[in-house]
Amino acid sequence: MTAEPRLRSERTAPVQPGADPGLGLVRLPAFWIVLALVGVGAVRMAMIAGRFAGPYPVATVTAAALFALLAVPFWFVVRELDFLEREPPALLALAFAWGGLVATTVSIPASAALDDLVAKLGSPHLAADWGGALAGPTVEEIAKTLGVVAIVLVARAQVNSVLDGVVYGAMVGLGFQIIEDIVYALSAVALAGRGDHVEPVITTFLLRGFVSGLWSHTLFGALAGAGIGYLVVRADRTWRIRLGVAMLAVLGAWASHVLWNSPLFRDGLGNGALALLAVLIFKGLPPLLLILVLVRAAHDREADYYAAQLATLADPELITEAELEVLKSGSRRATARWHARNQAGLRARAAVRRLQRAQARLAVELSRGTTDLDRWQHEVRRQRRVLAGLGHPEAIAPDGKGPWRRTASAVFTTALAIAVLWAAISTLGGG
Amino acid sequence: MGWVTRRQLTSLFGALSLVLALAGLALGLPALNSALPADRPVASDRPYAVGGGVTVVPPPGSRIDVTETRPAEHSGTVLFRLGPVRYLITVRRFEGDLNAAADRLRQRITGTAGYQVTGTELAVATGSGLAGLQGGYTAPGRGGRYLVFVAAGRTIEVTVSGADLDLGRTLPAIDASTRTLRYDPVGPA
Repeated sequence: MTAEPRLRSERTAPVQPGADPGLGLVRLPAFWIVLALVGVGAVRMAMIAGRFAGPYPVATVTAAALFALLAVPFWFVVRELDFLEREPPALLALAFAWGGLVATTVSIPASAALDDLVAKLGSPHLAADWGGALAGPTVEEIAKTLGVVAIVLVARAQVNSVLDGVVYGAMVGLGFQIIEDIVYALSAVALAGRGDHVEPVITTFLLRGFVSGLWSHTLFGALAGAGIGYLVVRADRTWRIRLGVAMLAVLGAWASHVLWNSPLFRDGLGNGALALLAVLIFKGLPPLLLILVLVRAAHDREADYYAAQLATLADPELITEAELEVLKSGSRRATARWHARNQAGLRARAAVRRLQRAQARLAVELSRGTTDLDRWQHEVRRQRRVLAGLGHPEAIAPDGKGPWRRTASAVFTTALAIAVLWAAISTLGGG
Repeated sequence: MGWVTRRQLTSLFGALSLVLALAGLALGLPALNSALPADRPVASDRPYAVGGGVTVVPPPGSRIDVTETRPAEHSGTVLFRLGPVRYLITVRRFEGDLNAAADRLRQRITGTAGYQVTGTELAVATGSGLAGLQGGYTAPGRGGRYLVFVAAGRTIEVTVSGADLDLGRTLPAIDASTRTLRYDPVGPA
């Protein structure tokens, strides 16, 4: 019990709480410059969309609708990564807009130019085999990482842990991924030369949305964002170390992207669905596992920090010892909600969720040194009374209950993901 | 300067650095690319591998544009330049017959604003026996010719474009080159 917090706290950078930026950020030149860049990107991408929307209106609407739907679950998963200290929706939207409008606008001419340079300085053969693997990742990872830097410039106080960097990086990557996918889908329609048909859109959606969606830009962006988060919050380290770690993270994102785009194993494992699945896993799984481990470590560090803040209250009506342990872990929080539902029904489950959110918000306000905590404490007490009224006063996760369910859920989710991948690959002709 | 805080100055310089970095990518790389020549000499006395198992003997005096040339195992593109005339050959995977391939190419040509297909299509054949269709198109300030062939799950599309005078001067050499198009299987598609 005593060793765990020390071990967890060693894993990643500390949390540096910052004040809510509020309207103060409009006085920062960076806010207006970043907004202007997003505006320019929006105009540019609207012009590109307009070129497709004229001859292919149905395909354009279909592509926009399908990929917008795909963005919804990704958005919620990324947002939930930082349950304890949620990022302001406006900043998440700004990160998404940077990825979808600024990074894409910059990457289209820059990637093409770099691809040409590979052909000019190397050879057309080199460009055909490795141009896409070198040009795209080099330009895109830089353009996306600059999006996290933009968030730091606009609202430095909101990037106060490595996990925040992960969230903003992933959101920039998600914006990039969705807009790039729409452009790819519409290019496929134009290339097919069969007029305003939606089949190329569906094929692109299956290929880029399902088959390669999981380990795409969202993942690479998260990795680079972790590096920027470290650079910003690790004030106790020298600049050389902070810059080194940040560059290493961006390099990791670049290398993951290069591996994904590379021609390695393109035909080496055969042409069947199983071979394609193996290649996808070989190329996509290492960065996915890396970022999962990173997120876990950053989350644990942040959870320890905020739990320590709440522990200073020593008020069981605000948070009990058992609830402190629950709040530190995403799976235990989920188990507590599941336990509440079993004990007192769906309303109790919803009340536990609201209680956990209120406790997390209280912890953030504590960490910011907010003197008047009445508003936040009142909300926690209110949810406690709701739970007490439902006969389930404490949001606990009982020992020994829950793990089997989580294991079963993980197995089921993995099986479902493989089934969806398999179906998508088979539909695309891999089987 | 009393009314400008240090934080605002840092914010301004940080944001300007950001703009500079973006400009380096969006404008600097294309500028560097433009500064380097794209064409390379190519031998016209032996077949050139376009990709996907397709070869062609380049027209005499042509140069290859490496920015639009991408030879691959199952597909490929090559752009030859004869002065201002573009001679582009593209090989792609394709499931369909010759008429479908021609229809697809026509749609892509007319999908570009100002481009119109002209006249009727003619049946053509290469020296190696590949059967194809040939047609013409016009665009503002330039004309063009297209040819399309289908061979074992692949389509070979040829487009030639340039000003009418330049086309008239170079088309005999390009026609001779087109007749040397040849497909040799390269394994499973």
